[in-house]
Amino acid sequence: MEEAAAAAEAVVVTPGEVLGKASQVRAGRGAYVAPHNNLVYASLTGFRRTLSPPPNSPDQRPTVEVTGHKAHGAVPEPGSVVIARVTRVTARVASADIMCVGPKSVREKFTGSIRQQDVRATEIDKVDMHLSFRPGDIIRAVVLSLGDARAYYLSTAKNELGVVSAESTAGETMVPISWTEMQCPLTGQIEQRKVAKVGG
Amino acid sequence: MEFVSPEGLRLDGRRPMEMRQIRAEIGAVAKADGSAVFEMGNTKVIAAVYGPREVQNRTQQINDQALVRCEYSMANFSTGDRMRKPKGDRRSTEISLVIRQTMEACILTHLMPRSQIDIFVQVLQADGGTRSACINAATLALADAGIPMRDLVTSCSSGYLNSTPLLDLNYVEDSAGGPDVTVGFLPKLDKVTLLQMDSKLPIDIFENVMQLAIEGCKAIANYIREIMLENTKQLEYRRGI
Repeated sequence: MEEAAAAAEAVVVTPGEVLGKASQVRAGRGAYVAPHNNLVYASLTGFRRTLSPPPNSPDQRPTVEVTGHKAHGAVPEPGSVVIARVTRVTARVASADIMCVGPKSVREKFTGSIRQQDVRATEIDKVDMHLSFRPGDIIRAVVLSLGDARAYYLSTAKNELGVVSAESTAGETMVPISWTEMQCPLTGQIEQRKVAKVGG
Repeated sequence: MEFVSPEGLRLDGRRPMEMRQIRAEIGAVAKADGSAVFEMGNTKVIAAVYGPREVQNRTQQINDQALVRCEYSMANFSTGDRMRKPKGDRRSTEISLVIRQTMEACILTHLMPRSQIDIFVQVLQADGGTRSACINAATLALADAGIPMRDLVTSCSSGYLNSTPLLDLNYVEDSAGGPDVTVGFLPKLDKVTLLQMDSKLPIDIFENVMQLAIEGCKAIANYIREIMLENTKQLEYRRGI
């Protein structure tokens, strides 16, 4: 049984090859179900892998997926944590360029926007955007949704989300001193940001 | 003019049901996300695929699926006489549209909303059957780019000269003015996605000619599959698996 599973892992499939019946296997990444005959076909070229289902799910079918050799750039999905650089701050919205999705950097940058009500969890109508972000800040945010045609909607309304790194007006990287303030080590000047809680 | 001799040989020495020699190579354009060179006899075509990437023209963005764009062009040196205007003429625009529709039907566009897939095909040497060679090259390039597809689209042309169905017409046979049927086929799903014909044919003979082209498509599909498996094995070997 284990040899059969190991041998199945070395099989290379091409698009259009039948991987199984939809009643017996579930289509994962790189596979799709044809509606007219309920068969699971491969949609990529690569190695065919069978994953066992999680033990307490109602659907006990194994998942079959095909892993291709071309690595695609990461794309933000709702719920994923992203690292972005703030580009523009207005009274209602801050725009940022998403550079990393999770641990992977993106191939081409995506635009995200943080609305005033998504900056923090408490007193959301009293938020001053200019005291939360400045252009050039690196922020950690979570993707709320695909947003509108222009940008993804991001949120920093959690303790561990917000500004992780910022430069002071003097040009030095600032040190966080509270969840609303960061201090420049060179001049001692304190600037207001929505700071992310990094570490334990 | 005699296109099939009494012994049953065509002008280039092939039998009526014989296809020209095919050769394919994956990964010819390093900068593209996927690329392939496809040769059918003397017809040589190179395809490059870019995508999925962000849509460049926001007005053309589709919210629930990917936008597929295709451009077909012939190199100036591809035909016997040096061509003046390789792109933008009516034939190129029509073939671009045909290739785009064929590939779009096969790509799982709903998996990549708001993105764009560009397919560029250029004919390096034209000797009949450029449309088919372009579709085959585009299939290989899309598979190389890792773009999810329903099946491999393969294409082959067939004609009817001297009362004989002929498979895979070359330029001389194509310009004879007889019927020229181009078929785009999904081999594993057993479906025809492209069917074009020039000139006229009675319906029963048309069925034979179309069936012959479909057999040609199946043979090309087997070859393409072998090439892709070989390419994957090479890549895995280089990665040390």
